[in-house]
Amino acid sequence: MSDVVKCLNKLEIPYIARGAGTGLSGGATPLGGEVIISLVRMKRLLDLDLENRQAVVEPGFINLKLTQTISGKGYYYAPDPSSQNACTIGGNVAENSGGAHCLKYGVTTNHILGLEVVLSNGEIVEIGEHGVPDQPGYDLLGLLTGSEGTLGIVTKITVNLLKNPEGKKTVLAYFDDIDDASQAVSDIIAAGIIPAALEMMDDIAIEGVEAAAYPVGHPRDIAAFLLIEVDGIAAGIDDQIDDILTVCKKSHVREVKVAKDEAERSLWWANRKMGFGAMGAISPDYLVQDGVIPRTRLPEVLARINDISRKYDLRIANIFHAGDGNLHPLILFDASVPGESERASKAGSECLQVCADVGGSITGEHGVGIEKSAEMRFIFSDEEMAAQTDIRHVFNPDDLLNPGKLFPEPGRCVEVKHGEKKATV
Amino acid sequence: MVSPTIESVVLKDQIKRNDEPEHPLGNGGDQIIEAYSEEDISNVLAHANEHGKTVTVMSGGTKRGYGGTMKQADILLSLKGFQGIVAHSVGDLTLTVRPGTTLKAISDKLAENGQCLALDPSWPELATIGGVIAANESGPKRLLYGSARDHVIGTRIVYPDGRVIRTGGKVVKNVAGYDMNKLFIGAMGTLGVISEITLKLRPLPKYEGLSLVHFPDGREQEIHHVAKRLMDSMMEPVSLEVLTPATAEKLTGQRNYTLAIAWEDQEKAVTQQENWVAANLPAGIRHTCLHEQDAREWWDQLRHLGPNGYNDDVNEANTQAALKIGSKPSDVPSILTMAEEFAESHHVSVMAHGGAGHGISRVYVNGFPDDIIAYTKTLRSEVEKKHGYAVCTHLPFALREPANVWGEKPGYFSLLEGIKQTNDPKKILNRHRFVGGI
Ligand SMILES: Cc1cc2nc3c(=O)[nH]c(=O)nc-3n(C[C@H](O)[C@H](O)[C@H](O)COP(=O)(O)OP(=O)(O)OC[C@H]3O[C@@H](n4cnc5c(N)ncnc54)[C@H](O)[C@@H]3O)c2cc1C
Repeated sequence: MSDVVKCLNKLEIPYIARGAGTGLSGGATPLGGEVIISLVRMKRLLDLDLENRQAVVEPGFINLKLTQTISGKGYYYAPDPSSQNACTIGGNVAENSGGAHCLKYGVTTNHILGLEVVLSNGEIVEIGEHGVPDQPGYDLLGLLTGSEGTLGIVTKITVNLLKNPEGKKTVLAYFDDIDDASQAVSDIIAAGIIPAALEMMDDIAIEGVEAAAYPVGHPRDIAAFLLIEVDGIAAGIDDQIDDILTVCKKSHVREVKVAKDEAERSLWWANRKMGFGAMGAISPDYLVQDGVIPRTRLPEVLARINDISRKYDLRIANIFHAGDGNLHPLILFDASVPGESERASKAGSECLQVCADVGGSITGEHGVGIEKSAEMRFIFSDEEMAAQTDIRHVFNPDDLLNPGKLFPEPGRCVEVKHGEKKATV
Repeated sequence: MVSPTIESVVLKDQIKRNDEPEHPLGNGGDQIIEAYSEEDISNVLAHANEHGKTVTVMSGGTKRGYGGTMKQADILLSLKGFQGIVAHSVGDLTLTVRPGTTLKAISDKLAENGQCLALDPSWPELATIGGVIAANESGPKRLLYGSARDHVIGTRIVYPDGRVIRTGGKVVKNVAGYDMNKLFIGAMGTLGVISEITLKLRPLPKYEGLSLVHFPDGREQEIHHVAKRLMDSMMEPVSLEVLTPATAEKLTGQRNYTLAIAWEDQEKAVTQQENWVAANLPAGIRHTCLHEQDAREWWDQLRHLGPNGYNDDVNEANTQAALKIGSKPSDVPSILTMAEEFAESHHVSVMAHGGAGHGISRVYVNGFPDDIIAYTKTLRSEVEKKHGYAVCTHLPFALREPANVWGEKPGYFSLLEGIKQTNDPKKILNRHRFVGGI
């Protein structure tokens, strides 16, 4: 890797590291002339030290494979993006990926102990050697994680592993009114419970997943459901489940049930994790957005997304990590209808504006990439973005490494983006 | 030295002459300026930057002995008076707070709503959140709850030229742009002054338990096995803190190696885990359990060991030092036994504890200056053989250079220098306070 980078440097050719290419913001998409360095063949597990709950992997190692490799011994790797059977841990580091279970366990950055990185001059550096925490110096691990491949190419990763929880229970709660579901989310947290996962889907999303590969048989006339999972010490779980059931009933739940066995639980999760792809079953094209809001503003934001849907005359499904306020509005459109892609793109951007307006963020886990670079302006001033590009300059002075990503280029306007972010199934 | 124009940027009564220039911990300033607002901070820094004056930043002063080989800067900027909670969003479990607020003030306020900030560093009534974040301080419970980097979701930073830059945001999940929060956590105030912090909160635990496992003399090697067994189980310890005999004596009255295992969960779950410990201990090893208030008080005592910036003894024979040692978690028991053994051979007295689940150990040393230096060097070199490091988190000013506070520079030092150069090109902020003289 170092040799390749040195050579590209000498020739002044820009380049991009690429994992599985599942990124949803165009981070690994070339804008013109970049050499793409694929890391999928660097996929070895280099070390497993269960006593210290650590594993060292190459960047092309597939997320889910790590958990599969260690599950026999009762361990797992916590960050679980819905794309986990395809995406690489290197890509996860670059995007600081999350997943359904990051409400309780945190996102990728909370699980990275060490990185080997090839810098833009070809130098190889090891940060967080041997996974020892808090090594003296600025927190480069934290800075590199989520830097979308613009500060260096990650060639080795030391991750923290967790032990499987002793007990786990999953609840499915159907609501007739989406505000009631939102209220239940807040009340569960207010009851002092941190569920492992707290997911929500609205009626259009449900229409999609029920038409896709893993239908559960959700009632079709509900406004939303919550999928809630609690895990931990077995003796403490039932009390938490009782509290959750009480909260749901107080919020006028229509029906609430606890998964009766692992098969049922798995089906509920498969149905949920199919979420994005399932949109393909009800729409020719769809666009995934990824905004974050303070959890307490959920009802208001959902109402405003509904207004956007009407304004652009496009259906918007909502699938989200409700517990941490991470929304995924899925904008359904048909690219073959002239003008619809542009409308979808504008609707998506407006959803992010709403998130920014209520004090949130324009991305919770999918990253900025090319897709949202213009929207960075919704939340950061030019001065604040300059503070970030100044840091990029330290690592990537000639901007050969994944150029044109993350930050809006002066003069680059929102309209140019159309067509770039279409996701089709 | 006194600039004719500093009076023009802050009120007269915010400026004090330093009447204690020979502070044994250094890190002072010719002039002391009390900041009461972000604007004050910005004005002072912009002024200093323009006139090439150096600035030391201080809040609670508990870390005055942590790094720094410059006795006196031109200005000591005090944030002690810049305190208070800006916003507590109960439903969102987030808190926005000013840097001079003490951890105790934060906990007291949050407890009214059944919430807490899950950080347990030392001296909570003195240590301010700004200082804790800047120094990346943590305590035994980071095993389950993580350290500062896992709790900070946003900051406002005053850059040396007076710019105010927001990093992160106010939501618990956010990947927009670089994670700039991380740059300022543990940077010892060398990249900017933190003027506001937004943190992720947790609900207060429903029930607290503490299992204290006492290892009789000669059986300390079994700590490792007990810790390993527990980490390989499905129990969820909040801490797995190993205490050396002298430390344990102070806290429990019994001079034995002791493992302090905290549990915070539903009462039934705490009981189940305590029972698991009882059932899984090797024969002949005793344990005791404390609950709720008793457990909290026990932890509170642990948080009041060691130096705090105000409790140094004038007597040279009682010079105090503190070390933070990082290692693989599994090496913690053996590092603590070494810390104990070397104390005897180096004529210093030592109290130490470390997390067998997270790898951070604290060693508090007391003795003559030369012995402390020698002890530090010996211990550091042994720790480095195990791929760990030792940083001096408290030392009198005169000992910092000889002890080499941060140890050797890392291989990627040029990146650290580059970041410093980017944020603070004139090197006015906490000069020589950090790794490699940054
Ligand atoms: C159906 C579906 C569901 C998804 N669900 C989630 C979800 O729940 N949560 C979530 O967070 N994301 C989700 N994603 C987004 C995506 O899977 C993640 O962002 C993932 O981490 C990308 O990994 P990758 O290997 O595919 O990276 P790529 O797409 O190949 O690359 C992504 C970025 O990382 C950089 N990069 C890759 N490898 C390296 C490296 N070794 N060093 C430096 N930079 C590198 C690239 O340059 C690029 O900028 C989903 C995507 C899909 C398609």
